[in-house]
Amino acid sequence: MEQHKTCVAMLLAGGQGARLGILTRHVAKPAVPFGGKYRIIDFPLSNCVNAGIDTVGVLTQYKPMELNSYIGSGAPWDLDISNGGVFVLPPYSKGEEGEWYSGTANAIYQNISFIKQFNPEYVLILSGDHIYKCDYSEMLNHHIKHEAALTVAVRQVPWEDASRFGLMNTDDQGNIIEFEEKPKNPKSNNASMGVYVFTYDKLRHYLEQDELDPKSENDFGKNIIPTMLNAGEKLVAWNFEGYWKDVGTIESLWDANMDLLSSPAPIDLHDRKWRIYARNVGEPPHYASQKGEIKDALVTEGCEVFGKVIRSVLSADVHVAEEAQVIDAVIMPHAVIGRGAVIRRAIVAEGAQIGEGAVIGGEEGKIAVVGSNTVVPTGYHLKPGEQLGE
Amino acid sequence: MKQDIVGLIYTGERVDELQELTRYRAAAALPMVGRYRLIDFTLSNMIHSKIKNIGIIMQKNYHSLMDHLGSGREWNLHGKRSGLTILPPYMSRENVGVYEGLLDALHTNIGFMRRSVERNIAVSDSNVLYQVDFADVIRQHLDSKADITLLYTKDRNVRRNGRGRYLDIQDGQVTKIEFDPTIPHFENTYVGAFVARRELLIDLVDRAVASGQHHFSRGMLSQMVQDRIYRVGAYECEGRVWVVDSVQTYFQSNMDFLNDTFRAQAFRDDRPVWTKLRDEMPARYIGDSKVSNTLVADGCLIEGTVENSILFRGVVVKPGAVIRNSIIMQDAVISRGAEVENCILDKQVTLRDNVRLIAPRSYPLVVAKNLTI
Repeated sequence: MEQHKTCVAMLLAGGQGARLGILTRHVAKPAVPFGGKYRIIDFPLSNCVNAGIDTVGVLTQYKPMELNSYIGSGAPWDLDISNGGVFVLPPYSKGEEGEWYSGTANAIYQNISFIKQFNPEYVLILSGDHIYKCDYSEMLNHHIKHEAALTVAVRQVPWEDASRFGLMNTDDQGNIIEFEEKPKNPKSNNASMGVYVFTYDKLRHYLEQDELDPKSENDFGKNIIPTMLNAGEKLVAWNFEGYWKDVGTIESLWDANMDLLSSPAPIDLHDRKWRIYARNVGEPPHYASQKGEIKDALVTEGCEVFGKVIRSVLSADVHVAEEAQVIDAVIMPHAVIGRGAVIRRAIVAEGAQIGEGAVIGGEEGKIAVVGSNTVVPTGYHLKPGEQLGE
Repeated sequence: MKQDIVGLIYTGERVDELQELTRYRAAAALPMVGRYRLIDFTLSNMIHSKIKNIGIIMQKNYHSLMDHLGSGREWNLHGKRSGLTILPPYMSRENVGVYEGLLDALHTNIGFMRRSVERNIAVSDSNVLYQVDFADVIRQHLDSKADITLLYTKDRNVRRNGRGRYLDIQDGQVTKIEFDPTIPHFENTYVGAFVARRELLIDLVDRAVASGQHHFSRGMLSQMVQDRIYRVGAYECEGRVWVVDSVQTYFQSNMDFLNDTFRAQAFRDDRPVWTKLRDEMPARYIGDSKVSNTLVADGCLIEGTVENSILFRGVVVKPGAVIRNSIIMQDAVISRGAEVENCILDKQVTLRDNVRLIAPRSYPLVVAKNLTI
């Protein structure tokens, strides 16, 4: 049976996320927990289903095990359907020429036969390291209305930061006339979000052409977009307004978690019309004890709080023992904070166990990180900015 | 390993003493402990006992129960080799659609029992909370060569004057049963669950109905114990058992979960209690919130004071609001300066600014669903 989809999404989830240090030593970046209940990948996946896109390929490469099992059948996002759904796409051997994904464009190129099965008109390219709520269907409509070959989602960044981004310089019609990667003297402040809608035929054509160029890095930003501009294709920018955060570094991941604590939060996760779905764990409601104290915090089901939790995010099944203090911190699932331990300006990863009286981080300085399943001995002292774990 | 047991849950318990709480729902669908429904505990118990096929006998007001159970996906009961069978009441020549009791219900659903292929059957009421591995029950059942084995508890908290079924047990065998005694004489309370060989149960039910019996325990079981033709065994449920059959017992059984020991007993890491999911963000504590000895589900927004209470999903507690010793069901809103004490607020109740609802401790006040006060 021939299937036909208007739009298929391809989610690039293969990067290592080296700037997240020990947090991505054992898992791919999109599988890193966020906001107490979520993993980073829940945002693009939920955006897809909320926007009516029910076919998503997830391209994995680096440490995919946890991501694979997290995605599973796709049921948490209603992506376990028979004519579409979510597909995990690792690099695979093609006769004698199996190879790793050499770049973002190459990853899509290697999976063109996957896309072909659905015979789509458009392909949405997403990345798995951003926290945002975005209605991709609006972007798709913009693309269709302007009869573009490629639409790039952009957002306006402060001018002083513009030189850190890939910038899309546009004419007054919103057509992209120039692409500049991290220029010293920016001509615009339209930063690319790494979210693209391609007309499928154009995508295939330029991916095939790009593969023939041995000098290409097979990257959308560096290669595909400049080539298309040179060829005179119609490239348009689509303005995204709303909260968007790249959580590619320890500091930005911590920041984005803290953003959820401000009132009102810059990204509303309570929004019943645009839910962010996640794989749920079967945990009872969290317990706030008589001795404990919780202020300005996010606390997830399964937690038991006997100590103090201030301006922090607690993921599912975190145990905070008596006299422990968790301040300005992000605690990932199943972590245990021992009696009298003090966690300040820190990220404690999944399943870590902080021994009694240990001190992690401090009032000032960079974020301290305890890696997943790390056992921190009683009384241990981890200084601000340091990382501990295997 | 798979077990050769089919499960059957009866949801037609008497609900008159649950007042408004069961006006639109079966006792089995009562919201419990912040995010569950009462039936989740029995259902999870069966699932952790590796029972893969479970029938649920529906009686009255089963809409919310159907909505909750859906395809059974959350309990992993939606596969080809497993399944959840909803057995709603239906009218037939012999059957007017409303069951007199469990015996009647079993007889009406005898087809489900016949179609099952498992050798044994575990039958349970849905308004009880207990922890048991039915594989252990079956093992004892077979070892003791019993024909039917009843689950019982020595937990004194489930005893009620003038209410309940009490067992005299001699050498592992039930020798006497008493029903609703003014003061119970025996220390063992029947928890409303039993196991038997499936084909034997079909036969027993058939014959009991044919001989004019209407009640399962009062009629059929009682007769079996008296006649001594069959061996009626007994299996003790360890730990705390709760029976939810009145507003007071509903209130107390929920509040008991504020106790660390009981919570640990009911929610073991290796035996999670499964329930229908609702994708909510974690609970948010904002500003001057003060929360103590309270269970809080995801999706709550707390800016006020909460003590000794249970907050279900999506409850909003505004600044200056105070909640004490209360159960607040999902999506309730407690506005600024409002005060609630010893109350059970059903779903989507709104208390306006400065409204005070204070009930005596011994008689919790139930506020019906969707009310705005």
